[in-house]
Amino acid sequence: MVVLLAGALLPAYVSEYYLYLGNVLMMYAVLAIGLDILMGWTGQFAFAHTAFFGIGCYTTALLNLRFGVPFTLGMPLGALLAGSVGVVVAIPATRMRDIYLALATFAFAEGMYWVFNTWESVTGGPNGVRIAASNVFGFAVGTDAGAFPVSAFLLAIMIVFTMYISRSRFGREMAAVRESEPVAMASGVDVRRIKIVAFGISAIYAGVAGGMFTLAQSFVNPEQFGFSTGILALSMIVVGGMGRLPGVLIGVAILGLLPEVLRTTLRSFQVWQELVYGLILMLTIIFMPDGIWGAVLNLRARLANRRTAASKGNKA
Amino acid sequence: MALYQSIASGIVTGCVYALVALSVVLIFKASEVVNFAGGEFVMLGAYGGLIALSLFHLPYIAAFAFSALALFLLGAAFNRLVLRTVLQRARRGQRTLVALVITTLGLSYALKGATRLFSYTEELRKLPPAFNGPPIFVGPVVLQRQDIAIVVISFGLMFALYLFFQRTTIGKALRGTSQNPRAAVLLGIPVQRMQLISWGIACAISGIGGVLIGAKLTISPDFGSQVTLLAFAAAIIGGFTSLPGVVIGGILLGVIQNLVGVAFSSSAIAVTPFVVIMLVLVFRPQGLLGGRYRIKKV
Repeated sequence: MVVLLAGALLPAYVSEYYLYLGNVLMMYAVLAIGLDILMGWTGQFAFAHTAFFGIGCYTTALLNLRFGVPFTLGMPLGALLAGSVGVVVAIPATRMRDIYLALATFAFAEGMYWVFNTWESVTGGPNGVRIAASNVFGFAVGTDAGAFPVSAFLLAIMIVFTMYISRSRFGREMAAVRESEPVAMASGVDVRRIKIVAFGISAIYAGVAGGMFTLAQSFVNPEQFGFSTGILALSMIVVGGMGRLPGVLIGVAILGLLPEVLRTTLRSFQVWQELVYGLILMLTIIFMPDGIWGAVLNLRARLANRRTAASKGNKA
Repeated sequence: MALYQSIASGIVTGCVYALVALSVVLIFKASEVVNFAGGEFVMLGAYGGLIALSLFHLPYIAAFAFSALALFLLGAAFNRLVLRTVLQRARRGQRTLVALVITTLGLSYALKGATRLFSYTEELRKLPPAFNGPPIFVGPVVLQRQDIAIVVISFGLMFALYLFFQRTTIGKALRGTSQNPRAAVLLGIPVQRMQLISWGIACAISGIGGVLIGAKLTISPDFGSQVTLLAFAAAIIGGFTSLPGVVIGGILLGVIQNLVGVAFSSSAIAVTPFVVIMLVLVFRPQGLLGGRYRIKKV
């Protein structure tokens, strides 16, 4: 609700720069929530997200550019294609575990990155493609102000859908797979099917995020689907708190805004960015292994404990 | 004749891949950490060699020693100061794996960023070759002296490692620690110190690899991530837990890359490691010499 309201009202009041930031953050939010469904909920350590993100983005953009397919059709098609590729990747990938899964999916993502870079006749290669304004229900959307309400609407839908899955039987089955595969199997959960479906859903989120990318941007190049974007999404869910929606959103906000804050406070920002970023990752893992939201929940539980202890002391 | 030539130069680059992959696998065996900062250690090793050679004007031997020592200390410090705390605090299971990967990724970013802080690294540089002189002709193949030196030094280092693990007490203790930490503790082996030493040795190997490759490639703060990927590919071909397998994997990868370059196009070289990783993981997940694919019990 808040997201929708903000989407409707903010463009009239806020400067273009903040709208741009908002668009980027919302896109990362969808990407990170999708990654969290696979990693935080199902416990599958997969790195392939940038590939699905790129597939969604290029599909939406190129359908629009070459065939004039409107966003309202192109974006779902892109998400669907990303989801299907996700399922295809999942079929061999779900037989692996832990680090082998991570490395195989990582290799897939890097392979796709190479495809984006090399398939020049379609993707424009390293030079990228200039994309046309998106057509959303007949309105041409090419500016940050125009994209903002659409992005907000999409994010709201994805959040509602996420909350719906998390309360469904499927959500509980995913958690069972994460906690212990043998136990889940013994309780009658079809572990492989759950993993494959989780892979697909997660890839669809990435595809939607790719579609959102085309809304406000006028240019796509492969750089955006490289290793660092994947690491950024991963860091967002780790720093915020894996497996919990508020945590993921916190992580997106912090890591998404960090470069902007650094840019205004540090002169030689480019040089310091990587160092600061690396230190943040290491310090988070050392001091808040469950992320910021996990630390908040811990603190709250501890305070509640102390309060009950204190009240018991008063009675005695 | 381009075929033999490309196989020969594949073996040369493959030797360096094998060294870096050895470092990754040593770390994995000692502490179950997949080290995403492996390439950055190589990058730092190359810069270490560069500093020793061109700033302090030390001889080449000293450059190797300087890089190896510096990287040994760095690896040991990371293990002691960061990794041990992470392992103590993280919850068991899947989350530990994620936490460890994020930690080494954080390290890789931090090292890259820290290197960039020095204006010395803005310019792309190369180490002066250690062995100059006319190339040697073996049949149809032209061999640069530097390349021969790379192969000889790599194999010397591998042999030294082999002796170290088979003959010395510390080496045996290290093997024991990686095979069964709990039993190692019962035998009175200081497991944490062993992990620290493993990290140090592994990083020192990367550092030497950096000095070797620094004379062939231009070094920049960015070139580490590429090296990390190649090391992973080599390690996966070999089986991720087998040291001889990794050496074979590294050399194979170097040769395959060059053959792909000859057979298809030079742009296909970049994607070779990923294709290799996927094919090996799908069809032979245990690698060439990785032994049985173990399935963890509850």
